[in-house]
Amino acid sequence: MSSLFAEHILTWMILVPFIGMVALLFVHERKWVLVTTLATTLVNAALALQLWVSFDNVEKGLQFVERVEWMPTFGIQYAVGVDGISVLLVLLTTFLPPLCVLGSWDSITTRLKAFMMLILLVEGAMLVVFTALDAFLFFMMWEVTMIPMYFMIVLWGGPNRVAAGLKYVLYSLTGSLLLLIGILALSLQAGTFDILSLAGYDYTPDSEFWIFLALFLGFAIKLPMLPFHTWLPDAHSEAPTAGSVLLAGVLLKMGGYGFIRFCLPIFPEMSHAFAPAVLWMSVAAVLYGGYMALAQVDLKRLVAYSSVSHMGFVTLGIFSFNNEGVEGAILQMVTHGLTTGAMFLIVGQLYDRTKSRSIADYGGLQQRMPRFVAILSLFAVASFGLPTTSNFIGEFLILVGVSYENFVFVVLAMGGIVLGAAYMLWMLQRVAFGEARTEAAKKMTDLNTREMWTIMPLAIAVVAIGVYPGPLLEAMDASVTFVVERLASIL
Amino acid sequence: MSIYTLIPLLPLTASFILILFGEGLQGKGHRLVIPAVALSFLMSIVAFLDVSANGPIRVHLYEFLDVGRLSVDLGFYIDQLTVLILLLVTGVSTVVQVYASRYMIGDLRHSRFFALTALFTAAMTLLVMSSNLLLTFIFWELMGLCSYLLISHYAERPSAARAATKVFLVNSVADVGLAIGVVLTFLTFDTLDIPQILAIAESGADIPTLSITLLTLCLFCGAVGKSAQMPAHIWLPFAMEAPTPVSALIHAATMVNAGPFLLVRLSPVLVLSPTAMMVIATVGGVTALFAALVSSTQTDVKRTLAYSTISQLGFMTMLCGVGAFVAAIFHLIAHGFFKAFLFLSTGNVLAATHRHVEEDAKEKGPSRAMGGLFIGALILSVIPALVIFSGPYGYLWLSQSFSAANIALWIVGLATIFFTAIYLFTSMTTIFHRSPPGAKDGSPTVIATPFSAKHVTGVVVIATVMVAVLIVVWRWFAGFLSPAVGGLPIQANMELSVWILVPLAAAVGGWVVAYLGFLRPKTLETPRWRKKLYVFFLNKGYFDEIYDVFLVRPTIKFADWMWRRIDQGIIDRFVVTLGSASVGIARWLGRFVDTAGISRTVESIGKDIDASGQAARRYEPHTLQHNLLVVVFWLIAALGFFYWIVG
Repeated sequence: MSSLFAEHILTWMILVPFIGMVALLFVHERKWVLVTTLATTLVNAALALQLWVSFDNVEKGLQFVERVEWMPTFGIQYAVGVDGISVLLVLLTTFLPPLCVLGSWDSITTRLKAFMMLILLVEGAMLVVFTALDAFLFFMMWEVTMIPMYFMIVLWGGPNRVAAGLKYVLYSLTGSLLLLIGILALSLQAGTFDILSLAGYDYTPDSEFWIFLALFLGFAIKLPMLPFHTWLPDAHSEAPTAGSVLLAGVLLKMGGYGFIRFCLPIFPEMSHAFAPAVLWMSVAAVLYGGYMALAQVDLKRLVAYSSVSHMGFVTLGIFSFNNEGVEGAILQMVTHGLTTGAMFLIVGQLYDRTKSRSIADYGGLQQRMPRFVAILSLFAVASFGLPTTSNFIGEFLILVGVSYENFVFVVLAMGGIVLGAAYMLWMLQRVAFGEARTEAAKKMTDLNTREMWTIMPLAIAVVAIGVYPGPLLEAMDASVTFVVERLASIL
Repeated sequence: MSIYTLIPLLPLTASFILILFGEGLQGKGHRLVIPAVALSFLMSIVAFLDVSANGPIRVHLYEFLDVGRLSVDLGFYIDQLTVLILLLVTGVSTVVQVYASRYMIGDLRHSRFFALTALFTAAMTLLVMSSNLLLTFIFWELMGLCSYLLISHYAERPSAARAATKVFLVNSVADVGLAIGVVLTFLTFDTLDIPQILAIAESGADIPTLSITLLTLCLFCGAVGKSAQMPAHIWLPFAMEAPTPVSALIHAATMVNAGPFLLVRLSPVLVLSPTAMMVIATVGGVTALFAALVSSTQTDVKRTLAYSTISQLGFMTMLCGVGAFVAAIFHLIAHGFFKAFLFLSTGNVLAATHRHVEEDAKEKGPSRAMGGLFIGALILSVIPALVIFSGPYGYLWLSQSFSAANIALWIVGLATIFFTAIYLFTSMTTIFHRSPPGAKDGSPTVIATPFSAKHVTGVVVIATVMVAVLIVVWRWFAGFLSPAVGGLPIQANMELSVWILVPLAAAVGGWVVAYLGFLRPKTLETPRWRKKLYVFFLNKGYFDEIYDVFLVRPTIKFADWMWRRIDQGIIDRFVVTLGSASVGIARWLGRFVDTAGISRTVESIGKDIDASGQAARRYEPHTLQHNLLVVVFWLIAALGFFYWIVG
C-alpha cells in the first residue's frame, strides 16, 4: 500500500463521500444513483475497517494525525487524527450509511439524487467532526451536519415535517451558538484552536464557569439531555427512514463525544463540580425517557423516546469519571447507534408497506411476517439491554462505573431498564402478536432479500458485540485510561 | 478448551442452525435438536464421572470483559452441584424433546419451537456451568427471553401474547434485584469469579454483615422472580400458555430451578447473614403454604400443576433458608423428574381427549399402569420433603436461635405437606380415575371410590420400597454434594430418626382428608368462612387483580398523563413559544431592515400561540429565510452575552 494512502487514510475517508457527491452529478438513472451512493459508502466502510485493523490499541494518544495550515492568521489548521474513542465512532459513522442507502432504496421516490447527496454530506461532515483536532474545524462541520438533516426532514419527511424541522433547527442553532461562544472564548484566551493545546491552558476562574456552561449546554442539546429533548421525538418521527437512522445513529453521538473531547479534558474541575447535577439529570432522563416511551402510540416516537433514555445512560457513564463508566458510555453510544438505527430501519420497512406509524394499525404480524418479527424481537430486546446483546455490555459497565460514585444511581437506572422492557415488549405484543387489526396489516408481505441485507449486518453486529465485546473495548481502553487518569491526577 | 464445552455448545449450535436456516428445515428441527441434547446428556454423564473421581473442573474460554477494575473471564466451573443439575437439565430436556417431536408434528412454527427449546436448554446448562456471576446473570436473562418467545408460540392467541409479556415483565422487575446484587457483589468482593467469591466467603474474611445481607437479599430477589416465589409467583400459571413440552421444560429442567440453584451455588455467602437466611426461609415457607392451598382449590389441571410447582419451589427455598442446601438440591432433582413425568403424561391425556379442564373429563384416562407410576411419582415428590424434617437436619431446626420462627417453619412445612398430599390426590384421581362430577344428572353424588383395598396395599408396598431406596440414595447424595455447598457440615450420623413419622403422618392425614372429601356428597352445607376462604384461594389470593389495578394500569395512565402535561404541555410549550417568539421578533426586525422577500403577512404575531408544534406551520412559506433571521437574532443576543462575560 502506498504511503500516500496509508498516511492519509483519514483524509481519504473524509474525501470519499464528497467525491461520491461529485460523481452523483453525472449520474442520472435512478438505479445508478443508488448504486453509486452505495458503492461510495461501502468504500468508506472498507476504509474504516482498514483504519481499525491498522489502529494500534496500545497507543494512548492520537494516531494517523495530519496537519495542514488552513488560516494561519487565526491559528486555524486542518488537523485530523483518531484515538481509541473516535475510532469507534468513525466505524459507526461509516457502518450506517450503506444501510441507509439500502433502506431508502424504494421508499424515496422524489428527488432521489439530492437525498443521496445529503446522506453523503452528512457522512463526510460527521467523519470530520469525529476526527477533527482543531476546534474551528470541529465547529464548522458540526454546523454542516445540521443542514442536510434539516432538508431531509423538511423535504422528505412525514405530514408534520415543517414544524418538526423548525423545531430541530431552533434547538440545534441554540446549541450551536452556545458552542460557538464556548469555542471562541476558549481560543481567545488560549490563543489557539488546537484541541489538545486547549486542554493544557489555565483559564481565568471567572470565565471558566461560563465557558464550561456554554459548551456543556451545546453538547447537552445535541445529545439530548433531559430538558432539551423535545426536538428529538418530532425530528425523528417526521424524518424519512434514512434521516432517522443517521440522526439517532450518529448525530446524537456528537454530544457525547463533545463531553469526552472538550468538557472532561479542558475543565476537569468544573466537570467534577457539575457531576452530581449531571448524574441526577441523567438518571432522570433514563427514567423519564422510558416513561414517555410507555405512553407513545406512534412507533417512531416510541423509539425516539427510548433514545432519550439511552442517552441518559451515556451521560451517566461519562460523568462517573472512571474507566468502567466512560468505556461503557462509548460502547453504549456505538451500540445505541446500531440498535436504534435498526429500530428505525424496521419501522421504516413497516411504514413502506402501510404508510402508517401507529402501533394500533398493526397486530398479528407474526403469522404473515415471521422473518420480520424475528428481527423486530431481536432488536426490541437488544434495545432494552438484554444480556448477550451489545447494549447490555455498555449498560452494565456504566452501572458498575456509576456504582463507585453513588449506589442510588444504579438502583434508579435499573428502573429505566425495566421500563425499557415494558415499552418494548408491550409494543411487540401489540404489533407482532395477537390478531391483525386492520385490513392493511392482513395483507403484509414478509421482508424481501434487500430488506434482509439491510438489517442483517446490524443483527450480526449486535449479537457479536454482545458475546465478544473485547475488540471494541481494547481499542478504546488506552485512550480512555489516559483521559481518566489525567482527570484523576488533576482532581 | 475442554470437551465439556460441548455440553452447552451442541444445543446452542443446533439452535443457531435452526434460527438461520429454519425455513428450509421446517418440520425437521427435532432431528437436529434431539441428537444434540442427547449427546450433551452423555457428556454430562462423563462430566459427572470425572467430577466424582477428580473433584471440580475449571475451564477457561476467553476474556469477556477487562475494563478498569472489572475483569470477567468467560469460563466454566464444574463441581458436584453443577454436574447433578446438568444431569437433570440435559436428561429431562432430552425426554421432552423426544416427546415434543411427536407433539409438535404439523405445527406451523416447528423450527422456531425446536430452535428455542434447544437455546433454552443451552442457556440453562450455561447458567449452571458459569464460573462468573456476570455470566450467570447473562444466561439467567437469556432464559427469560427463551421463555418469553416460547410462551408467545401461539402468538395469534391474544392471551398467549399477553401472558408472554407479563411473564417477562415480572421476571425483569425481579431481575433488577439480581443485577443490583451482582454489582453489590462486585463492590463487596472486588471480583465476580464464583470460586473466588466462595473462597473469600469461606475464609472468614472480614466482610461487613450488612453488605452481605444486602447483596444476598438482592440476589435472592432475582431468585424470587425466576423461581416464582411470592409475590412474583403470578407468572408461572401464565407460562402455561406455552405448548405442553415447554411447560415441562420450564417446570422441571430449566428456568424455575435457577433460583434454588443460585442460592445453593452461593450458599457459603448466604450463611454469613442470618437475617437474609431468615427472610429466605420466610418467603419460601409462605409461598409453599399459600401455593399448596391455592393448588388444592383449582379446577384447571394445568393450573393445579403450576401452583404445585410454586409450592414445591417454595419448599426448596425454605430449605435453603434454614441451611439445608443439600436437601434443597435433592428435592429439586426429585421434583424435576417427577414434574417432567407429570407434565408429559398430562399433556398426553389432554392431547388425547382434547380437554383442558377437569370438568370436561368424560372418560377414564390411560391405563392403570400409568396410575401406578403416578403414585410412585407422588410419593417421590412428598418424601424428599419429609427427609429434612428428621435425621441429618433435625439439629438445624433445633439450633436456630429463634424458637418461634422455628416452630412456625415446622408448622408451615407440615401444613404444606398436608395440602400437597390433598391436591396431588385430587388432581390425580380426577385425571385418571374419577368420573366427572355433574356428568350424569340425578345420579348419586357419591362417586365410586377410586382405590380398592388392593390399591391401598399396593401403595403401601410401593411407599415402603420408595422410602428404603430413598434412604440409601439420600446418604450417597448428601456425601457427594456436601463439598460443594456451604453452611454447617452435615452430621456424620445420617440415620433417619423417629421424627420422620410426624411429616409422614401429615402426608397420610392429607390423603385421608382428601379421600373423605371425595366420598362426601357435594350437597352438604359448608360453613361460610370456609366458602370465603375457598373463594379466596380459588382466585389465587387476587394477586393478578391487585397488580393490575394498583400497578400496571396506574403506571400506563400516569405515563400518558405525564407525556401530555409535562413533556408536551410544559417543556414543549416553552420551547415552541420561545421559537415562535424568536421567529416573530426576527420577522419584525426583518421588516425594519426591509430584507427582501419577507412576507407582509404578520397576522400571527401577537396572537396566542398554540402549544402544539403545528402552530409553527404558519411560518411555513418562509421557513428558510426566517431561520436565517433567527440565526441573526440569536447571534446578536449571543454576542451581547459573550461581551458581557468576557468584556
